[in-house]
Amino acid sequence: MLSVENISKSFLRKQALDDVSFKVEKGSVFGLLGPNGAGKTTLIRIINQIIEPDAGIIRINNDIVTRKHLATIGYMPEERGLYKTMTVEEHALFLGRLRGLSKQDASKMVNYWLDKFEISNWKKKRIEELSKGMAQKVQFICTVLHEPELLILDEPYSGFDPINMELVKNELIAMRNKGKTIVLSTHNMKSVEEVCDSVALIHNSKKLLDGNVATIQGEKKAGIYAIKFRGNMIAFVNALWTGYDVIETENPSDNLFVVKVKMRNDSNFESLLRVLLGQVQIEAAWEVLPSMQDIFIDIVQPKTA
Amino acid sequence: MRNTWIIILREIKERVASRSFVLFSIFGPLIILGLIYLMFKFGGSESEKWNVLITDKAGILDNKLLAHPDANVSYSFANDYIEHTDFAAGKRYQKFDAIVEINEKVLSNKIAYVFYRNKPSFNLQTKVQYQVERRLEEVMIKQFTTLSVEKFREIKQPLKFNFRNVYDPYDQTSDIRTWVGFFFGTIILVFIALFGMTILRSVTSEKSNRIVEVLLASVKPRQLLVGKMTGIGIAAFIQFILWILVIGVGLYLMRAFLFPSIYDPSAMNVVQLTDSGKIMSVQEKLYEGNTFNAIVDLVYERVNFSVMLTFFLLFFIGGYLFYGSFFAAIGSTVGTENDGQQFVLPILLILSLSAYAGYYTVANPESELAFWLHFIPFTSPVVVMVKLTYGYANGEAYQIWLSLIILLLSAIICLSIASKLYKNGILQFGHRLRLKHIFQWLRIK
Repeated sequence: MLSVENISKSFLRKQALDDVSFKVEKGSVFGLLGPNGAGKTTLIRIINQIIEPDAGIIRINNDIVTRKHLATIGYMPEERGLYKTMTVEEHALFLGRLRGLSKQDASKMVNYWLDKFEISNWKKKRIEELSKGMAQKVQFICTVLHEPELLILDEPYSGFDPINMELVKNELIAMRNKGKTIVLSTHNMKSVEEVCDSVALIHNSKKLLDGNVATIQGEKKAGIYAIKFRGNMIAFVNALWTGYDVIETENPSDNLFVVKVKMRNDSNFESLLRVLLGQVQIEAAWEVLPSMQDIFIDIVQPKTA
Repeated sequence: MRNTWIIILREIKERVASRSFVLFSIFGPLIILGLIYLMFKFGGSESEKWNVLITDKAGILDNKLLAHPDANVSYSFANDYIEHTDFAAGKRYQKFDAIVEINEKVLSNKIAYVFYRNKPSFNLQTKVQYQVERRLEEVMIKQFTTLSVEKFREIKQPLKFNFRNVYDPYDQTSDIRTWVGFFFGTIILVFIALFGMTILRSVTSEKSNRIVEVLLASVKPRQLLVGKMTGIGIAAFIQFILWILVIGVGLYLMRAFLFPSIYDPSAMNVVQLTDSGKIMSVQEKLYEGNTFNAIVDLVYERVNFSVMLTFFLLFFIGGYLFYGSFFAAIGSTVGTENDGQQFVLPILLILSLSAYAGYYTVANPESELAFWLHFIPFTSPVVVMVKLTYGYANGEAYQIWLSLIILLLSAIICLSIASKLYKNGILQFGHRLRLKHIFQWLRIK
């Protein structure tokens, strides 16, 4: 659906993007990750044709992107605002028409979305009369009004209250299920794991990592397993002997433990279970995958040896 | 183009629906009409009131002077001789501003003394002299001739020696008319300042509430800028039309009910005892109370409104685009609204200097400086308006078009610079604007 190819951009002497490439599959949610100042917003502005890249091209459905593609994109920037003196309806109609809808279609879609979010009674309210949470809903409606094929959300959860955040998250998943493609830039790693199918990590203007979320987590796993058991901790440690390192222990109740263990040498999950059987009463055991948060921090701030 | 039009419509709607627009559309022209009324009432005729005592011991005037009371001068008679020292100090005379001594020799030596407390204006002096003189004339006609007053005056008509400028035989130009030009020029500047500030506020508020990024994902920065300036310009134009309508209707009503035309025989005001208006010359009417009023005459008879309004419109458009580009550039480059206030001061200062340039041209229309100010785009909208009323000599009319072309070309250059700054500055937030930013943003492609 969206293909970012060798995009570079600098502002005077400051390099904002350096040869960044990735692909976003149709019908997926793509997370654009990176610390502040990494170049995410610059890249999103380039995709939206707000600024031009120094080098590289953007393709949508294999076509080099031009202004006519803008009607197929919905964009909600990080810093978003509305005209305070316009009514909700006027504002949505105005932005819908700018995105290519006819007056009738725009009006129909405004009614549809206001009904869907159960806020039809706000229609004639001026934006300045709305609370922040109400305005956020209106902003989201204005972004999706023209049913874009590609939805780009820059930090969609920043400033949203938890209720709106849930609403938007559910809406994004519903849109993905309808075959829409969604690109979101975010710091919220929990939401990345919840909604993103794949991600790209940009840091210091370069892309450092991209791919499917599960694949990345699989690649970054460190052979750590968690065992939840009842019994004696000493018996547990003795059973492990030298093949495993205990790296974290939790003791939620008297004789209940959750222990994270890292494999040594040729040890594996099966051998771990084997040595423990009979020694402690195992209640659960699972492989611990690194969280996206850990992966993010690990790449952006590598631990010094 | 479609999106530019949508932006234009939004801007017009926002401006026209705003309370300040409605108030300014109503009260702006009403204030101007009020000022025009005051100028009509007092500017072209006397506002002074004079209470005059005529001492006429011999009863020559027969205690008569005017058939109808005069708006500015009221006369009382004393058939007694009053020493001017008594008049100066006497309590009973304090209500009088002046005393006119008519003694028995007046018919032969033609001398009358007038003692005043505060020196009256020249017009008032002339008026009193004229009114007393005409009454004396009637007395003398009766006493020394067998002619009727009408006949005598017909014979007495002086030879009118009409001095006329060969290049302007109908006296279409004069100093007082240049003030009309100055007024038009000042209105242009006021509209530019008001709507320029509107551009600035609109750009900075879009920037500060961050709607601009959403808009830029649908329209090009240049489209947004052009749409905004056109929309606000059309709103200004609508306001201007409303002003013309309200002022036009107001002037019409004033003409119909308050200041009738002196050239219209039905409106003539016959004031002398035995005189009839039809044999009076325009010069004579000058002294007929309020009948002739230089400013009324100027507004209704001597201003060519179609020419003035046409060039007003052209120079308004040019001036608005030229100055508007500065306001837009400032709005798009500042980081905070406070910064905007600070950077707009120099522009407002230039607008004030431009108004002064208009005033300078009124005073020195033929000076070399006025010639150059006429072509400089910062000052040309107001200076051209002044020069237009002063008049262009034969063969110099090209100057007005040259000035317009220079203004429009400058506006195009400034707009292209402004749109570049707008494009590169509009998404920069929260900084303190420095000149180096402007140079940097001009360099970014």
